[in-house]
Amino acid sequence: MERDHALTPKRSSDARGVALASAMTERTESRTPLIATLERAETGRTRPGGLFECIAEGRVFEPVIHDEVATDEAVVEVDGFDLWYGDTQALHDISLSVPKGKVTALIGPSGCGKSTLLRSVNRMNDLIDSVRIDGQIRLSGDSIYGRGVDVIELRKRIGMVFQKPNPFPMSIYENVVYSLRIDGVRDRFTLDEACESSLRGAGLWDEVKDRLQNSALALSGGQQQRLCIARAIAAEPEVLLLDEPCSALDPIATGKIEDLIDDLEGLYSVLIVTHNMQQASRVSDNTAFMYLGRLVEYGPTESLFLSPRLKETEDYVTGRFG
Amino acid sequence: MVWLTGGSLGLCLVMIFGLLALVAHHGGRTFWPRPIRLVEDLQGNVLLGEVTESDSFAPDEGLLASLPEEHATALRAEIAAGDGEVGRRLLRTENFELTGVHYHWIDDPFVAEERTPEWALVVERRDKGRFYGFPTGFLVEGRRLAETPPAIWEKLREHEGAVLERFDRALQLEEIDLGRANRAMNDARLELREVELDEGIDSAAWRAQKVEHDRRVEGVQAEFERITGEIGRLRAVNANYQLELETVEGQQTLVGVADVVRAVPVNQLGLHDKLSVYLDRWWEFLTEDPRHANSEGGVWPAIFGTVVMTLLMTVVVVPFGVLAALYLREYAKQGALVSLVRIAVNNLAGVPSIVFGVFGFGFFCQILGVGIDELLFSATLPNPTYGKGGLMWASLTLALLTLPVVIVATEEALSAVPNSMREGSYACGATKWQTIRRIVLPRAQPGIMTGMILAVARGAGEVAPLMLVGAAKWAPSLAVDLAQFPYVFPERSFMHLGFHIYDVGFQSQNSEAARPLVYTTTLLLIGIVVVLNLVAVWIRARMRRRLHGAR
Repeated sequence: MERDHALTPKRSSDARGVALASAMTERTESRTPLIATLERAETGRTRPGGLFECIAEGRVFEPVIHDEVATDEAVVEVDGFDLWYGDTQALHDISLSVPKGKVTALIGPSGCGKSTLLRSVNRMNDLIDSVRIDGQIRLSGDSIYGRGVDVIELRKRIGMVFQKPNPFPMSIYENVVYSLRIDGVRDRFTLDEACESSLRGAGLWDEVKDRLQNSALALSGGQQQRLCIARAIAAEPEVLLLDEPCSALDPIATGKIEDLIDDLEGLYSVLIVTHNMQQASRVSDNTAFMYLGRLVEYGPTESLFLSPRLKETEDYVTGRFG
Repeated sequence: MVWLTGGSLGLCLVMIFGLLALVAHHGGRTFWPRPIRLVEDLQGNVLLGEVTESDSFAPDEGLLASLPEEHATALRAEIAAGDGEVGRRLLRTENFELTGVHYHWIDDPFVAEERTPEWALVVERRDKGRFYGFPTGFLVEGRRLAETPPAIWEKLREHEGAVLERFDRALQLEEIDLGRANRAMNDARLELREVELDEGIDSAAWRAQKVEHDRRVEGVQAEFERITGEIGRLRAVNANYQLELETVEGQQTLVGVADVVRAVPVNQLGLHDKLSVYLDRWWEFLTEDPRHANSEGGVWPAIFGTVVMTLLMTVVVVPFGVLAALYLREYAKQGALVSLVRIAVNNLAGVPSIVFGVFGFGFFCQILGVGIDELLFSATLPNPTYGKGGLMWASLTLALLTLPVVIVATEEALSAVPNSMREGSYACGATKWQTIRRIVLPRAQPGIMTGMILAVARGAGEVAPLMLVGAAKWAPSLAVDLAQFPYVFPERSFMHLGFHIYDVGFQSQNSEAARPLVYTTTLLLIGIVVVLNLVAVWIRARMRRRLHGAR
């Protein structure tokens, strides 16, 4: 797999990525089409001092949501969601829906709240004492923050992969079947089957099938992260949350994970947080751009990258800002 | 800076290894058979014994004046030529019951003649300590069968096997059979007493029980007499075999062959024989009960007591400490109160251990123990069963003492478990307890083991609190006795190596004679602590390997 993923993708499903990448390169070279795009993006509202200043000053504005993303069947719906860490508000009135069976990317500069939003979906923020929330998130129509929701049952419906690979201090096998074990599954056959299918799903089976009983901590970083993905999909979750899954990995391991996310598309609904614009353009169907705790623009990845409606999105995805 | 830090480390190492070397040197050579020297001084006094120490001193005028003129002149010249000092040696002469002393200093200038007689014997006796002297006869039923040392030696070798067999048999009868009869009698008495407590004296039930009691006591009495008779017969036969010994001053004494633990003609032995005597003495030290007010014999009960108490302590302290630390780290809301608790726990580690002893005595023995006695063992009162110091109370006291160590180490280990692991587990839908049990604890296990190792090291070396809660200078009946129901007796007092060191070194009448044993016992205690720690370290290494897989 000795290839630069950004420049020479080899799979047919990468066609979109190629197109986007090359388009972006072109755009930085020639300014003309950009201005045209911007003009189209202007919706007529006047924002003195620009949108970012507007957000920083805390003035209310309407995020731009492309029509295409509203039509799909949603697996996760975020509805007017606010979140505070103590007195600091980290998320402001976020509303977006994650379509089923597709890959949705959250992008934005550091501290914009994309990880916080991701962790709100499986209520990992519950672990922090000072967090307070308002608004609603629904998973396949069921309220996540409603009264009497069993967090444990909820989390079993959601898989999550973290920034740093965090395999448990046990064997590869036990890592993969962890969520089944805590569910009390004892049947050897079920466990074996879940282990194999998850590892195959995470593209790790061929590498580890002969040493399933070895410690997971002995794997390489990239293998560990794919193991974490296998662990997350073992319970067949309705949605898979990926929190910058490649930021601690080298380019080759990153490439493998990206391939894997592509393979997961259609089988799982994926919500991925990433810092890497090219990664977002390569792996996702839809992209949401966030800034300072607000959703700015949300639409199909292609139009968000090639023809964003807002100048600020344009600046961010082309790397002139952030 | 590197010199300062390195120098400090060096100093620490020198002190630690200096101490270890001192203990190992003195402790290791205690059992080595040293040549028996016969020393005659200028006044014509003779001494027989082993050289245990030698040093040098500057003689004063009075000493020089007491010497014969020609010696004094020669000595003056010698002192002037040398560094002003002359040597002297400490001779272990023993025969305490005849001479009243164990040791003699002999100044080198006073030595007129010195040799190592071929048939000088060191006889280790069962209850009177060592005897240094010469064999002069072997008596069977008062008849002298041998006169010359080689013949006596021959006879001793010939008879000692049978004598020893009879001795062991008598001992066994005394300890096991007689013990059983005693217990049967005691049980009968206790049952009667129980009925008396329940029904009142002279009630119908009591009278029936009294008849039963008398019947049983009668049976036991007969058994008792049979056994004592048998023991008496065996002892009487053994008393017929006697060894006649003569001190270097010419005093004669008779020693029963059964009383001879070991007779060694040291001066005839080669290296191989000396080695076998050395190992034999070590073996006796490790496996036998103490004799002669702890100054001779072995320390097996103390080894057993130390190890069992330490293990029992570990078994108690580790679960409690780990649970407490789990609550503090995983469940409690971090705040001022938790910090306060943490400070209190840390301070607990600084409380003098004797305070724990006092608490253990007051709480465990006086309150819990007395309560248990009143509830379950009322028949034996006023003799306490649990209401006094014992192995269990000592273990619990030491568990309290070492609790802070375990809590602090476990907390450290828990906080070292990365939060990402906990999050990963929660994200899989695990509950808090599942996360702790399956992820946090296994991951923290090596750190918890470290806490356990520290606790063991601290607990095994602790003496002061034990004096109050059950360590005894003499407790040959172990807490585990397979010959007697219910086989485990956690209420019994026990011997402990640390206390044994204190007792032998400073409390016994002839502590001087036992001084070498202090070093040896210390060596043994250090060795046991090291072994316990090594076992724990080995387990920890195994856990780590399992955790991280074969790399």
